[in-house]
Amino acid sequence: MTTASTAAAPQKSDVLDNPTSTTKDTGGPTSQWTLLPSEWDILLFSTALKILLFPAYRSTDFEVHRNWLAITHSLPLSKWYFDTTSQWTLDYPPFFAYFEKLLSIPAYFIDPKIVDLNNSNYDAWSVIAYQRSTVILTELVLGAALIKFVRGAADPAMQRCISASMFLHPGFLIVDHIHFQYNGFMFGIMLWSILMARNGHKLASGILFATLLNLKHLYMYLAPAYFIYLLRSFCLSPSGKLQIKNFLALANAVIAVFIASFGPFIAMGQIPQLLSRLFPFTRGLNHAYWAPNAWALVTTMDRILLRFVQKMALDVPINSDGVASSSRGLVGDTIFAVIPNVKPIHTFTITIGLQSAILVKLWSRPTYKSFLTALTLCGYTSFLFGWHVHEKAILMVLVPLSLLAAERQAYFRTFVIASVAGVFSLFPLLFTPAESIIEVVYSIGWLIFTYLPISKRVYEFPQSFFYVLLDIVERIYLFGFIFLQLFVTLFPLVASRWKGGNTDPTASMEFLPLMVTSVYCAIGLVWAYIRLIFVYIHDETTYQGQLSVIQ
Amino acid sequence: MADFPHDPSLPNTNSQSFPTDESTRKRKISITAQHPLFPRHRLGSTSKVDGRRPSLTSTILTDFSKEGGIDSPASGRQRSASPDIIAPLPRRHLLSSHQSRLWLSEEQNSNGPPSPTSSRGVSPTSVTFTSSRSQNGLDTISRRLISKRSLGSLLNATPPVSPRLGQATLDSAARSAIKQGQKTKMKHVGDHLNHEEGLGRRFIRWAHKRGLKEWISVGILIVGVLIRLCIGIGSYSGERTPPMFGDYEAQRHWMELTIHLPPRDWYTYDLQYWGLDYPPLTAYVSWLCGKAGSWIEPTWFALKTSRGIESTGSKLYLRLTVVICDLLVYVPALHLFKTSWLGTRSKRTQELAFLTLMFQPALLLIDFGHFQYNSVMLGFTILAVDFFATGQDEIGAIFFALSLGFKQMALYYAPAIGTYLLAKCILLGPVAGLRLFIRLALTTSLAFVVLFLPFLPPFAPLTTILHPITRIFPFARGLFEDKVANFWCASNVLFKWKNWASPSFLVKTSTAFTLLGFLPGTIVMLRTGWKLKTNKGTNTESKPKSNIEPEPTPILPLLPYTLLNSSMSFFLFSFQVHEKTILLPLMPITLLLSGAAQDSSIFALGALVTNTAVFSMWPLLKRDGLGAQYVALLLLWNRVIGHNPLRFPIQNLVQFISINVYLAGITLHLLEMVVTPPERYPDLFAVLNVLISTPIFVLTWLWSIKGCVEVGWAIGGLGGSEKPAGFSHRERTLSGL
Repeated sequence: MTTASTAAAPQKSDVLDNPTSTTKDTGGPTSQWTLLPSEWDILLFSTALKILLFPAYRSTDFEVHRNWLAITHSLPLSKWYFDTTSQWTLDYPPFFAYFEKLLSIPAYFIDPKIVDLNNSNYDAWSVIAYQRSTVILTELVLGAALIKFVRGAADPAMQRCISASMFLHPGFLIVDHIHFQYNGFMFGIMLWSILMARNGHKLASGILFATLLNLKHLYMYLAPAYFIYLLRSFCLSPSGKLQIKNFLALANAVIAVFIASFGPFIAMGQIPQLLSRLFPFTRGLNHAYWAPNAWALVTTMDRILLRFVQKMALDVPINSDGVASSSRGLVGDTIFAVIPNVKPIHTFTITIGLQSAILVKLWSRPTYKSFLTALTLCGYTSFLFGWHVHEKAILMVLVPLSLLAAERQAYFRTFVIASVAGVFSLFPLLFTPAESIIEVVYSIGWLIFTYLPISKRVYEFPQSFFYVLLDIVERIYLFGFIFLQLFVTLFPLVASRWKGGNTDPTASMEFLPLMVTSVYCAIGLVWAYIRLIFVYIHDETTYQGQLSVIQ
Repeated sequence: MADFPHDPSLPNTNSQSFPTDESTRKRKISITAQHPLFPRHRLGSTSKVDGRRPSLTSTILTDFSKEGGIDSPASGRQRSASPDIIAPLPRRHLLSSHQSRLWLSEEQNSNGPPSPTSSRGVSPTSVTFTSSRSQNGLDTISRRLISKRSLGSLLNATPPVSPRLGQATLDSAARSAIKQGQKTKMKHVGDHLNHEEGLGRRFIRWAHKRGLKEWISVGILIVGVLIRLCIGIGSYSGERTPPMFGDYEAQRHWMELTIHLPPRDWYTYDLQYWGLDYPPLTAYVSWLCGKAGSWIEPTWFALKTSRGIESTGSKLYLRLTVVICDLLVYVPALHLFKTSWLGTRSKRTQELAFLTLMFQPALLLIDFGHFQYNSVMLGFTILAVDFFATGQDEIGAIFFALSLGFKQMALYYAPAIGTYLLAKCILLGPVAGLRLFIRLALTTSLAFVVLFLPFLPPFAPLTTILHPITRIFPFARGLFEDKVANFWCASNVLFKWKNWASPSFLVKTSTAFTLLGFLPGTIVMLRTGWKLKTNKGTNTESKPKSNIEPEPTPILPLLPYTLLNSSMSFFLFSFQVHEKTILLPLMPITLLLSGAAQDSSIFALGALVTNTAVFSMWPLLKRDGLGAQYVALLLLWNRVIGHNPLRFPIQNLVQFISINVYLAGITLHLLEMVVTPPERYPDLFAVLNVLISTPIFVLTWLWSIKGCVEVGWAIGGLGGSEKPAGFSHRERTLSGL
């Protein structure tokens, strides 16, 4: 103690600014897993909060997962993908099924009724507590990956802010701990894979990503970036020569992962059935609630054009199905009235086209940071232009984007716009009033304590008049969310007062708050996408002055 | 975000521009350079800058030493006198590190002894700055409170310090302060090494470091509201249990009946189904909530037909009314508390206190889980105490009347508040004291008359007033209900009181015991007032009536201990006590705990009592289905305040007791999970719970008496000593820091 206290004064500032830089982050592998008190704090605080949310609203996904516990526990492997006892059939890849099998073992000892196949919509306290606890526990994978990010970071204090903000992300709280899913666990594996890429263990990164794909095939959105990155930086030498040893190692490892996952089903000849479960191509362009992507904007434009055409009585061919579709509000399949209809092949082409532009850049510059941006953009492109995208998929954009947040002001502003719009677009996922208030309050708190510390670190003045203008417009857009929230909250109250006289107008107006939310968020998300592409394609060196010290 | 809004010398840390930050920092250096950090200057100073700057810098100083574990006075002494650093250090990034390092040069500039200050050691004299009070409203109150900053140091009067008073009187005040300061500092350095701080302290430090200190209170508020809302998601008293439901339905029913009936029928309407039995202010608040709720959805509060309604909307609405009432009464009360009682303490300590009080788990569980409005009653009492601290006794008395008017349970505090005011009247001497007494009597009576106005002529016949009175004080019930961790219930295991004595005898006995229970506190209070009066006689008479703020009442530090003593004796010995009533004794002890150092005995005991109190309510919470909330909040609160009894070697008795109590509690919980109680003793676990909890509450009661006596000695001196009061008071403050 005395030696510490007599230490030279100038060192104090460093220690205080960054209390761990000298002690933890240079420590050996043994100290890498000792959590700092502040990290314990975050873990305990979030756990306490999540325990309080045990009795909260849960979507049908809760029953879906309970049913999967029952399927994997009570049926033999050969029947997993054939069972139709419940409407919530197993439609995740085999690794997730194995994961459920693993979870079903303790479940049986806690309460055998949990894993009873014919016990649908079981809502005893035991099943709620058990399933919610498994989400909290498996989310520790995410926490561990984030801790590892801090340990080797160039700027651990900042990385700790980012890690904390990711661990406490409102998206996870809403989707996992209230709505009910296991995204925390799977994003943990994704981050682990990214971490391996950062630390130069590219083979491990590839294996982890293959594992992730076998847990949830939605992560295929990210596969192109992985493919190009690993091919360019691992299988090819910088000069472009094929590194045959690396290539074979990676190929064999990935194939091994897939065999471990699909092997039993290949052996049983169930692959067609399995694939039909994984890829049901029978859904519409938009999900019931429009995900805030490009198609939401296109659909809105179609609706506006339809009104315009009807009003002006223009001689434009109108698809009568589309008119019916528009009057149905948001429910069901989307058919355009004025604009030509969009088919899956269109969305596929647009997505691939935009992704290849990004991947060309990644090919030419296969660094870690470039990979991270390309990965984000790949997911982002799929989210914006994909077929039947669910709004929950925005997490696939927000999570990797968070890792870039503290790089530069340009990235940070993109992150803020995308996060605010993305998190806001998740709000309609919870429609019960009590949970709605909680998600709003939580998100405000999260935003304040994510925005302020990072902003203070990375803020740069806009360099030209154009950027000043842009800055103002973006701020106005962000403040608009306050009014949007007020509108969404107050509209049903006001609408119910109107209901006295005429019921027809309010019936079609019921979807107005959802539609407005979707469109307003879509504007921000599309803008953030353009920003990110711009920043990525024109390196940040030419974007705003020189690079910051943080690499 | 209260404090020091007008102080130009505070660095504007939120500033995003480099130049401003830089220039502010320079200005700050120059100001402090003119006023070196030295106690002599501070003791006599009255100017704003003199009084405030050093306190702030010293705060930074100690906080650094506390956190960094680097600086201690001992090492400071060894250091050479020549300044190592005069200019501020170059920074890696200007915006991220906002705190000036001016303390580095500061310590060398004052070539005196090593800084004798600690964050607790801020000037004990009343630093009054005579700025014109132009604004009105809360701002004026706030500033008035700030001007009374010396009181805060008194709150931290930890009993273990008091025995050293004898020695301290021999030394000079300054020297004892130095010693004390060193001790606290050394302890804090040790604390840091043991990682003994809580989440709260770490969060506040992080926020200060990151330049977010303006946002700390906002953050605490947001998280506080969030936690309250999250608890509200769970079940409540009497959920889905027709026909009578529980406390939730009672509150909702009162909203229903108040909006549909004239006031004179409120206390007589269908008494079998949750008849109104709280004082009128509850009824008025219910009326307001009912009116607003009916505007949103009339079916929630329709007469008769809405009984037992549990729709999503009505549940959310009722939960929100509790949160809003809490935000309107309890939170402002805490805010005033930290600026009045903790006015002299560092901003970090104030924020920590706010955090500690906001997350009091017992209150959160009962108000937002079980469903009641206790925070309003407690908030009014805290407001009363806040205003006593600023010398505005009449306003304080009115707030206490409101507290009583909201829930009769506030009577538990009445002996303490009453004797405090009486002692103050005695203290002021015959003339001023009598004047104050009459003013207090008038305002209090007026407040009560206004509260009961609708039940009084000409609004109602005279007999109407009897309805609320008989409803509020039911003497027809038993000695205790359920299983409550008080003296009667615990001793009932051995003596079956009900078989042994008649109810009327038991009422008398319990009243006598209660009186005996709070007698020590009140006697000490009155005696201290009397002692100081004789000493102060000449002072008060010669003092001209001017606009200078009067000295803070010297008997004020006794108040929390007396409140604890009185409410705890009611809880332990009085008639018809409920488990939830433990919230009342918890309030003063949480106030004491909130400003206490991590290693003080108040802290250890406060944490123990809070945990035990939550534990003692377990049977109730279990019935309400709040098990998960119980676990989560205990976990969170202990982490927030940094209470960890498992620190070896065991340092004191309280820690030893804590470990045993926690072990017993955990064992009990585990047993309850696996063992079903035998047929003969269905309440086995509840009784065991009582037997574990009661000794702790008795211990707290005894401790409160000890605290009263010690603080009384400290303020008024030992019997027969002829010390001038002012001196003793000041010295006690210094040594108690």
